[in-house]
Order: sequence, then C-alpha cells, then structure tokens
Amino acid sequence: MSQEQAGTLAINNLSKHFTVEGSQIPILEDVNLSVKPGEFVSIIGPSGCGKTTLMRMLVGLESNYQGDIILNGKKLNGPSINRGVVFQDHRLLPWLTIEKNIGLGLLSKKYDKKSRTEIVQQHIDLVGLQGFEKAYPYQVSGGMAQRASIARSLVNRPEILLLDEPLGALDALTRMYMQQELERIWDLEKITMIMITHDVEEAVFLSDRIVIISNRPGRIKKIIPVPLPRPRERASFDFMRIKEEVLKEFQLHAEHQFSYAI
Amino acid sequence: MLARTNVLLRLKSSLRALVLPVLILSVWWFITYLGLVSAVILPSPEKVIQTFVTFANNGQLWFNLSVSFGRVVKGFLIGVSAGLCIGSLMGASRLAEKLIGPLFHAVRQVPILGWIPLLILVFGIKENSKIAFIALGSFYPMALNTFEGARSLKKEYYEVARVFEYTKFRLVTTFLLPAAVPAILTGIRTSLSESWMLVVGAEMFASSFGGIGEMIWLAKDAFHIHIVLMGIICIGTVGFVFNWTIGLLEVRLLQWRKPA
Repeated sequence: MSQEQAGTLAINNLSKHFTVEGSQIPILEDVNLSVKPGEFVSIIGPSGCGKTTLMRMLVGLESNYQGDIILNGKKLNGPSINRGVVFQDHRLLPWLTIEKNIGLGLLSKKYDKKSRTEIVQQHIDLVGLQGFEKAYPYQVSGGMAQRASIARSLVNRPEILLLDEPLGALDALTRMYMQQELERIWDLEKITMIMITHDVEEAVFLSDRIVIISNRPGRIKKIIPVPLPRPRERASFDFMRIKEEVLKEFQLHAEHQFSYAI
Repeated sequence: MLARTNVLLRLKSSLRALVLPVLILSVWWFITYLGLVSAVILPSPEKVIQTFVTFANNGQLWFNLSVSFGRVVKGFLIGVSAGLCIGSLMGASRLAEKLIGPLFHAVRQVPILGWIPLLILVFGIKENSKIAFIALGSFYPMALNTFEGARSLKKEYYEVARVFEYTKFRLVTTFLLPAAVPAILTGIRTSLSESWMLVVGAEMFASSFGGIGEMIWLAKDAFHIHIVLMGIICIGTVGFVFNWTIGLLEVRLLQWRKPA
C-alpha cells in the first residue's frame, strides 16, 4: 500500500444494505469519492438518504459493507483516534467539567500531566471557551457545548475531522456564528473536514466541494465545487447562484428567479 | 442580603418540619398529664427524657449504641462492597449478567427474615450471624442500584469511547461508574437504612451481648416502657442522621447535575 499524505480519504465502490424481514433494502449504492488533504467537503441529501449511515461507516462504527474506505492508503478497520468525530448531540459527559471533557480525547495516549493541561488549554483557546474551563455541561449553552465537543475531537491532532450535522441542533443565529468559527478552526488547523449537513447555505459557506446524495438508494447525484474566496459573503451573487444550483438538485429552486419589485 | 434571606428561608423550612413532632409531643404530654392512660403503659415525656439522661450518664446507652453501630459498620461494608462488585460486573458485561442475573433475581425474592434460621446454623448464634444478616440485607439494594446505574449510560457514549480507543477498563472507570454514581448513592442510602433496621431485629432474635435492639427487648420483658420508648427514639434519630449524612454526600458528589 502506498504511503499517502495525511488526511487523504478515498471511498471506492461503497455499497451498504440493511436486511429487513428477509429482504434487502439498499441504503447506499456505489459511492465513489476522494478527498484531498485539507479539503472541506460537505455531504448533503434529503433525510433518509443514508448520509448518516455513510458517516457512521467513515467513523468506523458500521463495518458491514461492500467496497473500501481508504484513509492515507490504509483500509479502515473500526473507529480510530486518528479520525476526530463531532456528533450532532455534543456527547459531553455531564459529570465532567468542560476542561476535563476536552481532556478525554488524550487518555489513550501517554502524556504527562503538564503537557496534557497545555494541550487542553490550547484547544480551549482555539474554540474560544476561555473562562468556562470549570463549568459543567449543563451550565453552558448549546453552542458552547458544541465548541467543547469540537475541541475534544481535535486534541489528538486527528488526520481528518468528521462532522455529523454538528450545528443541526443550534438556533439559526448561533449556527451562522458557529459556521464562521468552524471555518476559522479549519483554516488554523489545516485539517481535512467532512461534514454531513442538511443546511444548503451552511454547505455553500464552508465547503470546497458539496456532494449531493440522492434518495433511496443513496447515490452520489452530483458534486458541486464552490470556488469562492473566503470568508464568503452570504448575500453575494455568486454565493446565491451556487446555493440555487444546489437547491435545484432538490427541486426546490424558484421557477422565476428574476422578479422586479420596483 | 441574599445570604440572609437564605438563612431565613432555611429556618422557616426547619420550623415547618418541627410542627408535627411538637404536636405529637404535646398530645402525648397532655394524655399523661391528665392521667388518661396508665403511666405503666404510656410513661410521660418527662419520664422518657429522665431515662435518657440516666442511660446517657451511666454509659449504658452509648455502650449499646456503639455495639449496634459496630455491627452495622461491619455488615454494611461487607454487603455494600460485594454489591458494588456484583452490580458493576453485571452492569459492565452482558455475559456476567447472563451468568449471575437469573440466580441473583431468584434469590432476591427470598425475604430477608427467611434467611435467619440458615444464617444461625451456619454462622452460629453470636456476632457472625448478625453481621452476615446485615451484610445480606445491604447487599441487594447496592447490587441492584449499581447494576441499573451502570446500565443507564446511553449507547451514544459507548461510541465516544470507541472513537477514543478506550480499553474496557477505562470505559468502566471513566464512563460506566461515574454514570452510576447517582444510583450508587441511592443504593448506599437504602443499604445503610436497611442495615440499621436489620441490626435492631438481629439483636432481638438471638442472644445479643449488647446492642440497642437487645436493650429494648430486655426492657420489654421487664415492662419498662419508658426504656423501650427512649430506645425507639434513639434508633429513629440515628437513622435520621445516617440519611442526612448521605444527603450531604449526594450534594457534594452530584454538583454536576442541573439543579431541579
């Protein structure tokens, strides 16, 4: 196997089906995708299209499938500390402070206490949670909890970060703010990110490429590149045009785009 | 300012807690004062207080309480440690649950009093059978609560543990046991009050060599109701203090919980 650059992901001929009452129901069919190191790729699709299943396969929590998932030239085999995961629900342990929750990611590797504290503090600074180190999860807002969850997934310096609708549970304004934050973190950490989302604007704002999955069975319908400079202006014409292009795939775009209200 | 209102509020709630005891005490006092019931059957509150002072001064009360307390500590510690081990074993491993679970739930159905003859036969009539009785009584609530507490960890957290490549040991120490702490505390609370109740019983059923239960039992034989009443009040008070102590422990250990 060839040694590839850290953060390279290749999905080859990936298929997955569930067996329900003896009959096979295809979930994903022949998914092919390759992701470059440092790339931000969003996967978007209607609910029930299998995108969460795809994410669980990338994490390593689903192992019964056909085809290959190859990270840095190596076939995936179960979950790994080298792949960071941010779940939709933050999954912080309620009995640990924010600081200790972030430190959970470091427990499987040998660090002395000093460097552990240092790494945790760096990541608290990275996600902007200064002052909340000693707070318990119930004491912080949903946005802050998700920041802590992002910090926790980054402490081991994973090669790739998998985000499963990370901002889906947040209110609209917090979500937009967190999108900017996520972009800032991505830019600082230079890490490959793959994000599942159902928010078209979020996908256009953050991604280098948007992968659209069709419904039942899930297939890659289209891959739309987003060649816009960052940080992106949500109200710009190009931004809107790409958003339209994505929405068109879901038959959601307006039939008459140009109307004049003068 | 805020601290002061807090103190006032607390004072108010403890005053409310005293309303009923004071009421009962007054009714009791009135009945004996008016001589409605024979003083042999219902001695006056003053008589009971006098008895308390006498027993406290001559050391009888402290001796008997410490004997009972010693038995509770031994039995409770044995029962609770065993309960913690069996409970977390069944909680952490499906195999252990399948192996131990059915027997555990079947044996649990035997009322604790049903064990007395067997325990006396096996452990003799003296200290050991009493300690075994208390241990057995505190074992079940502890094992059951620990088991359920460990099972209360949501499956989502198992996924987090897998992503972080935790060992089974780390999963248990970092995720399972802390998740079980609230249930474990409930187990400790139930076990402790169970132990205290059982020690009194154990001291009555078999020759006892001291203990608060024996003190009451012997006083009954001599028709010393004032000693019986004094003993009952002492038992109740100790039980109350136990419960209150565990309450303080809960407040300390469960700070992470959202206040209701």
